[in-house]
Amino acid sequence: MSVKKKFKGLSDKAVAWLFIGPSVFLLLAINIYPLIYAIRMSFTNFYANKIGREPEFVGLKNYIKVLNKEAIWEKMQVTANFMFWTLLLQAVIGLGLALLLNRKFKGNELLTTLIVLPMMLSPAVVGVFWTYLYNPQVGLFNYVINFFHDFGSFDMIGSSVLAPWSIVIVDTWMWTPFTMLICLAGLRSVPNYLYEAAEVDRASKWQQFIYITLPSVLPFLLLALLFRGIENFKMFDMVVELTSGGPGSATELASINLKREAFEKWKTGYSSAFAVILFVTIFGFGNVYVKVMNKIKER
Amino acid sequence: MILLFVSLFSFSVNSNAKSITLGWAAWDPANALQELTKEFTAETGIDVNFEFVPWPNFADRMLNELNNKGKTFDLLIGDSQWIGAGAVYGHYVKLNDFFDKEGISMNDFSPATVYAYSTWPKGSENYYALPAMGDALAWAYRKDWFDRPELNSEFKKKHGYDLGVPANWNQLHDMCSFFQGREIDGQKRYGAAINTERGSEGITMGVTAAMYAWGMEYENPNKPYDMEGFFNSPQAVEAVEFYRKLYEDCAPPGHSDAYMVANLDAYKSGQVAFQMNWYAFWPGVSKEDSDGRVSGFFANPKQNVAAATLGGQGISVVKYSDKQDLALEYIKWFARPDIQQKWWDLGGYSCHNDVLNSPSFPTSTVYAQGFLDSMGIVKDFWQEPTFVELMLPMQEAIHDYVVNGKGTAKGALDKIIEEWVEVFEADGKL
Repeated sequence: MSVKKKFKGLSDKAVAWLFIGPSVFLLLAINIYPLIYAIRMSFTNFYANKIGREPEFVGLKNYIKVLNKEAIWEKMQVTANFMFWTLLLQAVIGLGLALLLNRKFKGNELLTTLIVLPMMLSPAVVGVFWTYLYNPQVGLFNYVINFFHDFGSFDMIGSSVLAPWSIVIVDTWMWTPFTMLICLAGLRSVPNYLYEAAEVDRASKWQQFIYITLPSVLPFLLLALLFRGIENFKMFDMVVELTSGGPGSATELASINLKREAFEKWKTGYSSAFAVILFVTIFGFGNVYVKVMNKIKER
Repeated sequence: MILLFVSLFSFSVNSNAKSITLGWAAWDPANALQELTKEFTAETGIDVNFEFVPWPNFADRMLNELNNKGKTFDLLIGDSQWIGAGAVYGHYVKLNDFFDKEGISMNDFSPATVYAYSTWPKGSENYYALPAMGDALAWAYRKDWFDRPELNSEFKKKHGYDLGVPANWNQLHDMCSFFQGREIDGQKRYGAAINTERGSEGITMGVTAAMYAWGMEYENPNKPYDMEGFFNSPQAVEAVEFYRKLYEDCAPPGHSDAYMVANLDAYKSGQVAFQMNWYAFWPGVSKEDSDGRVSGFFANPKQNVAAATLGGQGISVVKYSDKQDLALEYIKWFARPDIQQKWWDLGGYSCHNDVLNSPSFPTSTVYAQGFLDSMGIVKDFWQEPTFVELMLPMQEAIHDYVVNGKGTAKGALDKIIEEWVEVFEADGKL
């Protein structure tokens, strides 16, 4: 009775805070506080493994060091390359598969289930079993490629030319279903009367695709690519299991390098600066992208 | 009823108080230690729990635990390179007083292992571990193939000497390349499974086996941390170039990120004539070849000097443990000569002089003499507290040159020195 009374006395604002309070607290504790702490650390020469050594303020030294380090730019280039090709392939193949599965045919549902299976697997497991598939002696991948054209023995993971493609192929295999599902949702939301009207206007299939299907599905596709872009920017587990960033540093993405600097070399201050730079980069790109996406939606 | 409850309660308290946890890598010797430790539990009533971590994650897992002052482990069998960090950052208990009290003398253990696994600063009399597992990088070869007259005569015709244990790295290359792509018993075979792993320490452990044999020094013996002209000396450059040649000419296809288990698998599956690996694996290889017909073993070949890459570990008491007394009791038991002999018999590599100097030791197994030879010529990577920071740039630069084929050997070594200077400067050593 008294509890009821108490709640009766709460204002709408108080009830709202009661609901959002725990979320705000968790957000502050898990996201905002570590972010602020990392920013603070990025201005120091802190090493988390050097017990008893007080961190000293070093100003912008870590940021200058990160930005002037040639190796960092190489990692960023590897990351950009990986993102460009995975996003491009996932957009094209994902949209293609969505268009295919949007048609009604026997076995459609079974095929959809089979196609989405890879994205349900753990990235680390995917990385491990693709190392076997890529094995030049017993791997299925080389066998299939050589079945169509005899390239002889080639090592997808051991070659600096092929290794970047090896991670692109695996990521595309794993995550294209995600793009496909989002596009499929977009395609199914296009009203049929638009196509009927186009038929009446004698629009060809190609014109229907360009003027109806593509504009309708584009916001969905862009949203899928935004998610994939953010995920691939911080891609870690699958690549570590597959190539360990090698050969040499041919597939060492920025996130892998960051982990090595932070938790193997224990350069906490330096790696905090690197993390802040990566955060600003993805945050900046993400914002621009969302603005562009909204403009496309408005059209 | 009350009595039963009290006895159950006391049992649970007792079992908690009388147990310790030992951390090590997940490999054959760890299983042997687990077997040996049953005797310790029977003698003392102290249960020992084991946590064995796969090698690729071993350093990450254990060093994170130590850096976080974790209490998971009471005893740790840590890599030789960790001793600096263990001592300087206070992760390991200093054992001098305990050794004195219990009459454990470091003179009873092989000097190379005491130096490598126990002391910090190096060569001092400050002991932070008891030598637990002697090890060095060595080679196994397919003796049964070498014994085939037709293969031997073909090899001799080409190179002018018999197939056998290679006297130096040039001969090793001759033999490995002889088997590369050769069909034996209807299967295609390859030369050698060598270390090429990128993620942890694999390729560094492999390439240094060549670099030490060529006479590489990490630093100027008269001026510590002065590496220019030593680590990148012409001999060191030649060794790295040779290692790349060995990889290109003799490794099986796809052997671009391989270390212990991958080398072992390549050898056991009959793909290769040679494998580079730690002595720790030889009991397993030898066990499957009871009459010694298939496999032979030899120490790292010399080139300009006789040298081998050091492996192995010492056993330390973790400073953050609440059960240091029980952990020390385990060390006291493990140091006993009779236990050390059993350790060797079970497949562990004892470092105790009583075991190593026993007249029957060299013939006790087919690899025992090689182990003795190797332990006399071992060299280790930096054991500095910053060894991980020193290891990573070497892994990257060497892998980039050897496997990726990028740049030059001199360029790779120069790049490593550049990174190392930065590490030593940050550590206040330069």
